[in-house]
Amino acid sequence: MTTVPYQHKMAAHCESGTVTSLLNNAGLNITEPLVFGISSGIFFGYFHKMKSFTFPTFIVRNKPGDMRKNVSRRLGIKFHTEKFRDASEGMKKLDQLLEQGIPVAVQVDFFYMDYIPEWERVHINVHFIVVVGKNGSKYSISDSYFPKLVELEAESLRKARFAKGNMAPKGFLFYPIHIPKNPDYPKAISKGIKKACFNMLRIPIPFLGVKGIRLMGKKIVDWPLFSRDNEHLSHEIMKINILLEDQGTGGAGFRFMYASFLQQAAELMKRPALTDFSAKMMEIGDGWREISLFSARIGKNRDLGKERLLELGEMITGRAVVEEEFFRQLNKSMKS
Amino acid sequence: MKEKDGYVDCPEQQVVLYVEKEDGTYGPMQTGSYLTRNFLDDYELKRKHLEESLKSEVQPGKFSPVYFYMVLEDLTISELSARVNMRQGKVKKHLEAKHYQQLKTDVLELYADVFNIKVAEMLRLMPLSQ
Repeated sequence: MTTVPYQHKMAAHCESGTVTSLLNNAGLNITEPLVFGISSGIFFGYFHKMKSFTFPTFIVRNKPGDMRKNVSRRLGIKFHTEKFRDASEGMKKLDQLLEQGIPVAVQVDFFYMDYIPEWERVHINVHFIVVVGKNGSKYSISDSYFPKLVELEAESLRKARFAKGNMAPKGFLFYPIHIPKNPDYPKAISKGIKKACFNMLRIPIPFLGVKGIRLMGKKIVDWPLFSRDNEHLSHEIMKINILLEDQGTGGAGFRFMYASFLQQAAELMKRPALTDFSAKMMEIGDGWREISLFSARIGKNRDLGKERLLELGEMITGRAVVEEEFFRQLNKSMKS
Repeated sequence: MKEKDGYVDCPEQQVVLYVEKEDGTYGPMQTGSYLTRNFLDDYELKRKHLEESLKSEVQPGKFSPVYFYMVLEDLTISELSARVNMRQGKVKKHLEAKHYQQLKTDVLELYADVFNIKVAEMLRLMPLSQ
């Protein structure tokens, strides 16, 4: 039996939660909102048709893996990272690290996390958990989405770590190996905010950033064309609530956590203006939360005619308008 | 969102939300999933209907258990083919009952592994030809 001393904590999101948790356990007192904000986690992308997805969908964060990479680069933290061609080698290396007392974050397909209720489990190859022990054929797991430490059979973990497909994990693991004594938070925060503003405003691709929000607002009225029947459409409309709230965002598609980041940034940077921006972002999040609740209601009631979808589309487009203005002003503020 | 508005009684599924606390600071609260608390029964009903509808299509001359699980687990052909490490054209054929029935069990094992089920569950839906 191998147990690594580890303080488990639930978090809003798996990647930011895992990175935060590893850093906290290694002695760095950093919050999840800071990890999220410094890494420019806030984002939006709308995918109307993509071969990896059965239905139009959207994302509300930057590319998986970028939270760790950006925090690493901007704070001077070094992580050991490794991928494996061979599953046995990958599992063997995990066991060796645990025996050395090292808690290890691994990338997995969420579908094989047997401790999560079945109705929540979907195939998504970019879930992150921390492995903190092994007892016989079971691993002890710290999963940000679960209130306490859980156990997972070795075979399930192997399947999860080496699932193929889009963004396949390939046994990816990481853990911190160097943390600077005094990270330069103001500099990192400034970079994080500026990059987030760029991502939301300036990427010249029509389905990313605020353009993506606008596109979703426009295209949602076409969703019935993709559905098998009304119940399928209901399921997909209600999934808007899941993607904004339950899949691990801290609420309102990460907007609430970003508000928290800006509030903390105001203090660390001694920039009171960021406090106003944090309040504004919390309001923006409230608007997204209304969209989540609206989607759940109309989905449940099967109230999915053109008029209702247009109404939903307008609510989403409304978010594009306020976010465009928000990030413009935030970017301007950071330049002064 | 204020902390008092974030509270949902749902021990089956807990989430962390960021809310405005009483002192005006923004911070995390652990609470229940609003969707699960209020709409899990609807999700389960839709899932049941989907399973029934798919099962009715798993028959000779129509679709196979591979099709059943692919749709149930919300995978595209492209994604399933990458996960079982087979050409898309081959996977497309396996969605049809007539081709599925010619498969060997080692191929079924590849699919069962991805779907996280036992081969027996696929065979229960539709056995292979002798």
